[in-house]
Amino acid sequence: MSDITYLKKLFQAYYQEEQKTFPQVSSFNLREFGFIPWEKKVFMKRHVRFEHPKELSDYIIRDTPRHLYSSGSLYLIPDAREMENKNYQGCDLIIDIDVDHFYTPCKEKHDLWYCKECGAEGTGMPEKCPECKKSKFTKLNWVCDDCLNIAKNEIKKLVHNFLIPDFGISEKDMRIAFSGHRGYHLKVESEELRKLNSDERREIVDYLTGDNISFVSLGLIEKTNVIHGLLKENLGWSQKIMSKIVEFLQKPENEIRDMLQSKHILNFNQNVVESFLNYKDDFLELIMKGERNVWAIEGFGLAMWKNFLKEFIKQVGIELDEPVSIDIHRLIRYPGSLHGKTGFKVQELSLEELEDFNPLDEENEKLDPIVFTSKKNLTQKLEITENSLPMTKIRGVEYGPYSKGEQIEVPHHIAVLLLCKEVAKTI
Amino acid sequence: MNNEVINALSISNELINRYPWLPSLKKIYEDIGEKPPAEFISEIFSNIDSVQIANRVLKIFEAAFNNMEEIPDYTVDNLNVHVYLLLKIILYALNNKVITNRAANLYSKNAYNDMEKENSISNIYDICHDLDLKINFYDPPEPFGLKIIKNNREKLRANFSIHYIDYLKLASNLRDEHRKLTNNVLISGHVFVQNKDLIRLIQEYVRNKFLSEETEDNASLKAFIKEASKIQGFKDLYDKILSLWEKRKEEFDFTFKLDISSKEEMVLLLPPCVIEVLKKAEEGQNLVHHERLYIVWLLLALEYPVEHVVNIFSTLPDFDRDKTTYQVEYAKRKNYTPYQCSTLKSLGLCMANKYKDELCLTGYGSKDPSERKKLKHPLFYIQLKKYRSEKLEEYQKSRAKRELEESEKRNE
Repeated sequence: MSDITYLKKLFQAYYQEEQKTFPQVSSFNLREFGFIPWEKKVFMKRHVRFEHPKELSDYIIRDTPRHLYSSGSLYLIPDAREMENKNYQGCDLIIDIDVDHFYTPCKEKHDLWYCKECGAEGTGMPEKCPECKKSKFTKLNWVCDDCLNIAKNEIKKLVHNFLIPDFGISEKDMRIAFSGHRGYHLKVESEELRKLNSDERREIVDYLTGDNISFVSLGLIEKTNVIHGLLKENLGWSQKIMSKIVEFLQKPENEIRDMLQSKHILNFNQNVVESFLNYKDDFLELIMKGERNVWAIEGFGLAMWKNFLKEFIKQVGIELDEPVSIDIHRLIRYPGSLHGKTGFKVQELSLEELEDFNPLDEENEKLDPIVFTSKKNLTQKLEITENSLPMTKIRGVEYGPYSKGEQIEVPHHIAVLLLCKEVAKTI
Repeated sequence: MNNEVINALSISNELINRYPWLPSLKKIYEDIGEKPPAEFISEIFSNIDSVQIANRVLKIFEAAFNNMEEIPDYTVDNLNVHVYLLLKIILYALNNKVITNRAANLYSKNAYNDMEKENSISNIYDICHDLDLKINFYDPPEPFGLKIIKNNREKLRANFSIHYIDYLKLASNLRDEHRKLTNNVLISGHVFVQNKDLIRLIQEYVRNKFLSEETEDNASLKAFIKEASKIQGFKDLYDKILSLWEKRKEEFDFTFKLDISSKEEMVLLLPPCVIEVLKKAEEGQNLVHHERLYIVWLLLALEYPVEHVVNIFSTLPDFDRDKTTYQVEYAKRKNYTPYQCSTLKSLGLCMANKYKDELCLTGYGSKDPSERKKLKHPLFYIQLKKYRSEKLEEYQKSRAKRELEESEKRNE
């Protein structure tokens, strides 16, 4: 039996076992469904409709796809092949936070790339090959506690700093799910939000990310060679940024220095850093008193202040995958389905459950996305087919790093992960 | 005044007379609403005030065709409702996008000016309530920020906040930077708005209300005009407006031809974001500030002559040839770079999805979707399309030549 057939059968068995408790999305019969099969070179099958959840579970037991999706949109005719014929009724607001789309320090350890042009290889997420400057890569993305924690913190930030206080969205309208790989989805199901078109959704995305924010609207202006800055008394984004700046200014000097100098953060030159450190206490006092808003630090012109603020806007804003929230015809992973690149379950979570949720070492069995753990502690023998694999820590146990041709014996759930990732074969 | 007291108030007839576009018009003037339009027209023109009503409607069209910002001698009385309804009926009958846009802009601006002059907080509240906008009212006004000018600290306060969904529905087309959601104070689902900003949103509602009257059902329209034209007063007014338009329409003629230097039809090479702005201009829709800047900078970058760029704006409701020429010439001297794709997206001017433009959506380069490069600038779009079209032309020519040679050989 090929590895793909084996995985398909495992997924099939899982769906069979879970059919009675398989989650049901709201407005089920108005959603479009989509599937990616196991067979290579077969693209996504979409425009599928199910009247009842039973039809869906029968389908996934019979045809067991590698990935299962449903639409954020509601349609009267979800199975119409042309979008304009589906009779669109509205779309939930979907926010996708996936570490694939932003920098995390741990990627320097576990994300591998190989340049198709010149054969160079390395770790991290460069935009261009450092050797030949081309951007044709083969990439191997991995997961670790650190990046999944960063993604979880982004979701928490989204809910507690934006959706609840600013948008007044109620917790009962939010559906949060671990994506089964490197992130989380949050879906807001509310009748009024469903009415928004793509342009209006972009406005929400800009608000959440801080993209295209106006420095002038924030209060940063230069008048007769004097720079007027932001005030913490101004509600909205100004206040959010100023709270972050205050937090920053209250840090120990060495941390402030590191952030000002760091190439990944502000990347200021030595003179500017020293100048900022000399003035930082006065700057903090000025902000706290809120009596004046003249920002005068030697060496800091308007452009420098803008760069400074951009970093705090980035820290306040949410790292989300913008097209997912703007496009009203997107499909998202179905809750309770299995991710075909990990074998992990797309796990729905309440806000309370999210707090302690740890996808790679979850104590609560009901929430554990790693569903292929053998109760009899069975192991499987595999041969590594990828050039090199980073170390993986799951349930507190470290596996790897491995290199091509290495023969290993690992627990069942690790074997499923490596086979789904297509970096190993059974022997 | 607290919310409960205000809620208890209902829309007065006086308010409907002043602002006849309010939804409560239907309730208060139920008798009018239920009548077929032809019967309503017949009644208007048998009314002793019919001459006055018709003159007032005519004045609105004259003002709209003359790029005026306010309706001259605008009177708020019980005839105003009839004027408004007749205006809408005639716009329906004319079914001309340029005229409708001009009338919509004028009428909505007039409503803005009237609301601003009136400066009645309770009326603004009633209007929002009638429009079914979710708003919060604060008395005393709620502080939401601070402004420091020299040593003066001035608290920013608002009487109103509006639910963000209503805000987005009304503000997203305005596209001014300060109206972006992210540049506003949003708390518990409500955006704090100063009175004049709220009035500006209401103006947008009024404008949209006119635009919704357009029809594509030409058969019904013809039948309606035929029926309504039996009423002499209506026919006279309709003909007068048409003849006014005939005299003026040349000035608004959309003279956009992009065949600057090359042989091919340049318009086929333009990205959807440009087509959309040109289309709006062609229909006489008002262009927001960024749309105007974008189209001017882009066409100048393509070395399009100043005079022709100016002509594009000739259909706009606030067109002033001298001012526009000065501004376009100034932009040419400054040699501004047109917005790039990311800026267009953030300004809501990117039309890739609306037009399902393959080049914008899927990029270019490799056949493998994962390796395709995304376009970053509309000028590059044009360059690429031009290159492709030239290549295609070369290919077609060489194929035609080859086929000709082959057929000649066969004939030999």
